[in-house]
Amino acid sequence: MAIDGLIILDPTGRPIIQSSYTTYPAAYPLLHIEALNNALAKAPREGSVDPVIYVGELSCSSACCHVEVGGMRFLATISGDVDPLIAFAFLDAFIEILQDYFGVVSVATLKDNFDIVYQLLEETLDSSGHPLTTSPNLLSDIVLSPSLISKLLASVSPATPGVPSVRQGGSFGSNGASGAFTSPIPWRKAGVRHNHNEILFDVVEEMRGIVGKNGTTLVSNVFGKIESNSKLSGTPDLTLTFTNPNVMTDCAFHPCVRLQKWTRDNALSFVPPEGRFILADYQYRPPQSALVSNVPIPLSLKANMDMGEFGGTFALTLTSRLIKVMENLELKFYLGEDATSAQCTLSSAGSSVGSVGSADGSWSFNSRTKMLQWEILNMRSSGSWILRGSWTSKIKAPRPAHAFQIHFEIPSYSFSSLKVDQLRLSSETYKMYKGVRMRSKGSIEWRW
Amino acid sequence: MSTQHGQDAKFFQRGKIEEFRAELQAAEAKDKKFQKRKTVLKKIVANITMGNDMSPLFHDVIQCIGTPLLEIKKMVYLFLVSYGRSKPDQIHLVIPSFLQDCNDRNPLIRALAIRTMSYIPIPVVTEALTDQLRHCLKDRDPYVRKTAAICVAKVYTADPRKAERKGFVELLRDMLIDENATVVSNAVAALSEIGDRQDGVIFKLNLTIANKLLSALGESSEWGQIYILDSLLRYVPEQHADAEMMAERVIVQLQHANSAVVLTTIKVLLYLMNYMGDRRLIDYICRKMGPPLVTLLSSGPEVQYVALRNILLIIQRRPTVLKNDVKAFFCKYNDPIYVKLAKLEIMYRLAREENAREVLAELEEYASEVDVDFVRKAVRSIGRLAIKVEPAADKCIESLLKLIETKVTYVVQEAVIVTKDIFRRYPGKYEGIIPKICENLDALDEPEAKAAMVWILGQFADKIDNAEELLDDLVYSFLDEPAEVQLAHLTAVVKLFIYKSQSEVTKALVHKVLKWATEDIDNPDLRDRGFMYWRMLAMNPAVAAEIVLAEKPAITTDSDRMDRGALDQLLLHTGTLGSIYHKNPETFIRNAAGRALIDSPALNTNSRAVLVSLARPQLPPMAISVSGPGPVEPTRPPQPSEATNNVPLPTIMESSRSDERDLLDVEGDDGAGGDSGEGYPEGDDDGPVTKAADPYASLGGAFGGYVTDVPQPVTGGSRGGDLDDLLL
Repeated sequence: MAIDGLIILDPTGRPIIQSSYTTYPAAYPLLHIEALNNALAKAPREGSVDPVIYVGELSCSSACCHVEVGGMRFLATISGDVDPLIAFAFLDAFIEILQDYFGVVSVATLKDNFDIVYQLLEETLDSSGHPLTTSPNLLSDIVLSPSLISKLLASVSPATPGVPSVRQGGSFGSNGASGAFTSPIPWRKAGVRHNHNEILFDVVEEMRGIVGKNGTTLVSNVFGKIESNSKLSGTPDLTLTFTNPNVMTDCAFHPCVRLQKWTRDNALSFVPPEGRFILADYQYRPPQSALVSNVPIPLSLKANMDMGEFGGTFALTLTSRLIKVMENLELKFYLGEDATSAQCTLSSAGSSVGSVGSADGSWSFNSRTKMLQWEILNMRSSGSWILRGSWTSKIKAPRPAHAFQIHFEIPSYSFSSLKVDQLRLSSETYKMYKGVRMRSKGSIEWRW
Repeated sequence: MSTQHGQDAKFFQRGKIEEFRAELQAAEAKDKKFQKRKTVLKKIVANITMGNDMSPLFHDVIQCIGTPLLEIKKMVYLFLVSYGRSKPDQIHLVIPSFLQDCNDRNPLIRALAIRTMSYIPIPVVTEALTDQLRHCLKDRDPYVRKTAAICVAKVYTADPRKAERKGFVELLRDMLIDENATVVSNAVAALSEIGDRQDGVIFKLNLTIANKLLSALGESSEWGQIYILDSLLRYVPEQHADAEMMAERVIVQLQHANSAVVLTTIKVLLYLMNYMGDRRLIDYICRKMGPPLVTLLSSGPEVQYVALRNILLIIQRRPTVLKNDVKAFFCKYNDPIYVKLAKLEIMYRLAREENAREVLAELEEYASEVDVDFVRKAVRSIGRLAIKVEPAADKCIESLLKLIETKVTYVVQEAVIVTKDIFRRYPGKYEGIIPKICENLDALDEPEAKAAMVWILGQFADKIDNAEELLDDLVYSFLDEPAEVQLAHLTAVVKLFIYKSQSEVTKALVHKVLKWATEDIDNPDLRDRGFMYWRMLAMNPAVAAEIVLAEKPAITTDSDRMDRGALDQLLLHTGTLGSIYHKNPETFIRNAAGRALIDSPALNTNSRAVLVSLARPQLPPMAISVSGPGPVEPTRPPQPSEATNNVPLPTIMESSRSDERDLLDVEGDDGAGGDSGEGYPEGDDDGPVTKAADPYASLGGAFGGYVTDVPQPVTGGSRGGDLDDLLL
């Protein structure tokens, strides 16, 4: 049940940092690095390498689980019959911690802060491979973040917003860490103080769908997430209730949520960790009464495709079916490996559109990825947007993708119309500021 | 922060030992707040992390161990973790500092000290550690206790028997009822690690302890929850009610945000279901397991992949899970290929009459994609769908014909291969499409497709007017073909001859091929079969006809699933490597302890019928060693290799058997050949298992080596150990 260790590779496949593989021969990590690099080199294209690579040629047999972040590869090696999901869950948690500490995870930030990365690695992954504490709340007590170190050095600079006031009794003094682990609540440290108490919730819903050739929705699922940012003093015990909790199905909660309470009263009762965390994930399903189990897709696309020899022409018409404005709409179309160029014109039609909207949209063709991209920054509720064009290809019968990938965002909107009823604070007496925001996005595959 | 950037990056330059040594010595004087030492040590650690050998600095670095600054202490300890083991002659210099730190006021330092010591498997250190560790296991600070728990596992690895003699296992066991949940989960992790060793104490749970662990679940970190949940597999319910109660307590964990927790929970539930009696509860749990599995599919592709491979196993054993969710597995154009292939397989498994139309429409869509591998599997799946779901067969055939018309070589070849199986499945129903297929003879260049085509020509030679012509053409390259195609040819011409023995062309053809097979070919299979046919035809053509054209058993996809017993066993490894590769881990992971369901009065009869018993192989315990290129670390720890390997299984068992039997039950198996588990219908999995489901099992010689006759989708579940019957 343990991960052997973790290695971070730079974009060229060379190790930047690795955990101490103390109980393994020196060649052990190298072997995995080599296996991964070989697999990546052999892969016909990006993202086609199995995420779990079995390394069994020599007398060892183990596997290497890897994910890509900012051009780097994070790989966790596991031997024995270990759950690769633990490796991936740990990698995710670790990368999130790095983001917490450094903002951006890149080769440069890791190299500049390798000592912190190393300390983090030591604290989160026991050298025998057991994940330890990955809760950012507790870690911040044991490993100071670079911003805190520089703060300590400068000592006069004003407090950085977003960083809670950590008790700094003699920086690394004799009782520096025990606070973290004597806290009765594993995800929250004891004795947090804020002058201004607030908690913010962001409800983010994402629609993922597939639309078939004939325009019918094959699949559309809405996955929601309640992201929270808590800056509350003491041990706040919160109860969050919704007016329509039944739109949330198949929920998954942060460990702080009392599951029994949710099962019984459909109320979220929890003592939040400090800072950012995801309170809940859920799936939205339309009410049972409806025959269609799909959530309607908020836009429609009409594609007239004409395939010719050495290329083809197309006319795409996008229409919004929503009252709200959609933002940052992005349509991607893979023109096939042998595509050479594309030419398009944009236009828009409909009632409220004054000018022919060149300001609203733009298109581009990336000759390396062979991807045609069409962007509309603001898509209002009425009218339609049209992209006409043609592309050329080196081969006689071009093979473009038979699907468009559409991404969009809808601010202040939720598919489920989930509504917070109230948030009650018990066990603390102060007043707090509360806020809830809604946001939606979508990624749709539209086939033709 | 930005000011440091350039500076720190310089630490990554390959350092020079001498330079560091000089700097360390210089730092001894006038080191304000130890900043100088800190900087040098930082450089040294940077070099260690890059894999540069800094061990010559051992003596210089350990001088800094007394520095009253935690940061420096940490770095020195880091150094010791890396090089301590390679300096057995100098390590005694550090021991006083170790002992001092083990009694420091700061719990972080106490923990750091024992942790570091446990990584240095040198006798002096282990000796010193033993007493300290015993104290730390009872430390008042939970951080120290939880670190100590893990250290016990390390100490055990270094010398199992000694750790047992010193009573560490009992101490660890006592921690299972610690008040702090993190300590409990770490103790569980350590005991599991010990229990997974082939030479370790067997770690079993009884009902009381299992319940205690469950109550610690809520307060544990997600990693702790994983350890605890996983350890529940070591509990063998004696009554249906125990298993049911436990499942009810575990099921809320399906709502956890961590995907590994979710999958581990599912593993526990699947395990407990084997011991349940209440059909309704089983159905309820199956229904509850579906949605979290689907939710895993909204994660990153890596998690999706692991989830999909597991789903594939789960739905074979519990088909009601995800029964109505086939849509969740529709592939997206930009899914990574490994996700697509895994989804495809699941779509096929979930296909039923009710959703066959949707599934087929999807498969057709995939068949027009660009990725060759994926397209092939999609085409093959259409054929398998036709075989699996009879009412959909017509539509599938239509769609295959359309695909054949595309003339894309690899599509045509796949289509031909599956069509052959469809003919086998529905004899006399679809032969009308043979002419269509024959139009594409020239497109076939892969052995499997060619062999399939030849089989079709031979089998239906009576229905194809110009069969002899076509076969004659194909036979032209006989001597250059791979064996499987040659075998197909041989049988095909014999069939042709039996159908059309009057034709001169046929006679010449069969003569030519038999002559080749018996005279020019080195392959004994081919030669023997050639002789056999020849003699049969010479002695009694009528009997030959009876044998060669004997009615073939229709193929089905029932045997398409894994053997139930194997499934039960694999599902105990849900989420682990074994479930990714669909193999039992002990078969491909060195040192992995196998798992098997353990019989108890509560075990349901169908599970018992296919129970796979597990022998603990008496292999010498060995550390994983890699004899790869590159330098091998010179001194491997004195691992408990040859010396200890034949010690009969844990001596500690005796003591735990006598005193605290309720905590660690070490009974190997129970003697009660339980018969109280009554047989109730397992509607879930098609009732009792048909062991010999392979339709070819009885065919023996007649078509034995006839490779092309083995239909791809039907790899018999009962063929020993061949669990790779999956598309992937």
